Amino acid sequence: MKRILTFFILFLLWLLMVSAVLALPPIGSETTPVTTHVIPRYLEQGVEEAGAENIVTCVILNYRGYDTMGEVTVIFCALIAVLAVVGREDPKLHTSKVDLVGIKESVIVKSVVRFLAPFIMLFAVYIMLHGKESPGGGFQAGAILGASIIIYTMTFSYELALSKFFVKVRTLMEGAGPIAFFACGVVALFYNQNFLTYIIPGLDPVTQTAMRSLMIEIIEVGIGIGGGTVISSIFLAMEKVEK
Amino acid sequence: MINNEIIAKAYSSINYVVAVTLFCIGLYALIIKPNLIKKFMGLNIIETSVFLFIISSGLVEGGIAPIYTKTTPANPVFVNPIPQALILTAIVVAVSTTALALSLMIKLYDQCGTLNANKLKELR
Repeated sequence: MKRILTFFILFLLWLLMVSAVLALPPIGSETTPVTTHVIPRYLEQGVEEAGAENIVTCVILNYRGYDTMGEVTVIFCALIAVLAVVGREDPKLHTSKVDLVGIKESVIVKSVVRFLAPFIMLFAVYIMLHGKESPGGGFQAGAILGASIIIYTMTFSYELALSKFFVKVRTLMEGAGPIAFFACGVVALFYNQNFLTYIIPGLDPVTQTAMRSLMIEIIEVGIGIGGGTVISSIFLAMEKVEK
Repeated sequence: MINNEIIAKAYSSINYVVAVTLFCIGLYALIIKPNLIKKFMGLNIIETSVFLFIISSGLVEGGIAPIYTKTTPANPVFVNPIPQALILTAIVVAVSTTALALSLMIKLYDQCGTLNANKLKELR
């Protein structure tokens, strides 16, 4: 009864929302309000103003830098909250449930992961460093890096992963995203410019653009390293059980 | 009531219709399923539908990816970069909330031994 009633109400909601989205401008037209206000300026002057050939990177790290900085902080806060709830793992006290039950991965899976894991990490570094002029960037690199550590932990054992990715080293690297963002954003404050504008007055335009590109690159690397370690730390903290 | 015009309109903005359908599916899971993990999977489906909706609104007919390379033509038509940037950050926030919710569920299962919402209500 409850199911049928819910289904009926949701069907009414579906009809209402479909009639609403059909009144929107069609997908792909150039005159929708989404594409008319600030987009032409971003597309035409983004390379000179923001210092990256990839306009999405320009929008993320320069035009909407505040948004991204807060959001990097959100990831960091999520890690802190997870660690407050389930606690940090200790190599001496904890192991994973898979290790306790004693499931053995097949030789094929182990060999493939042993062969591929370094290349996955190399690919993450490539994505991280090429976010400025090609599709990619810090967030994607962080996801790939975290995924490589997770697949290593799942295939081999939890203890082996903890002996490779030390808790102390990860603790130092987890804050890399917010720290890199803040360090690059605060440079402009010393020259009486606004926060996160990456402007250093008194430089000629070419050096200024190069400077801005360098800072964007530093932030990408910080977000990549920070994001990857945060994802792997969350996974390792949630996976643990008492020995 | 339903004529060819409405069907043609729905076909031209099929992404929006699919996003709305996904939203309703996620809401159904959120309401009906008693298991907390399944409820949260419904919430994730809702998030995905919103991503699809916003990213679809940024498409420009015949547009290319908004990246200046050596092979970019003279007067390029780019797709809209803003929805892509918004969704890129939103995905990571979705991952963070999922991680926090799952860790809370781990703690809840340790304490109460169940993740069924109806049984948890009786426990007090």
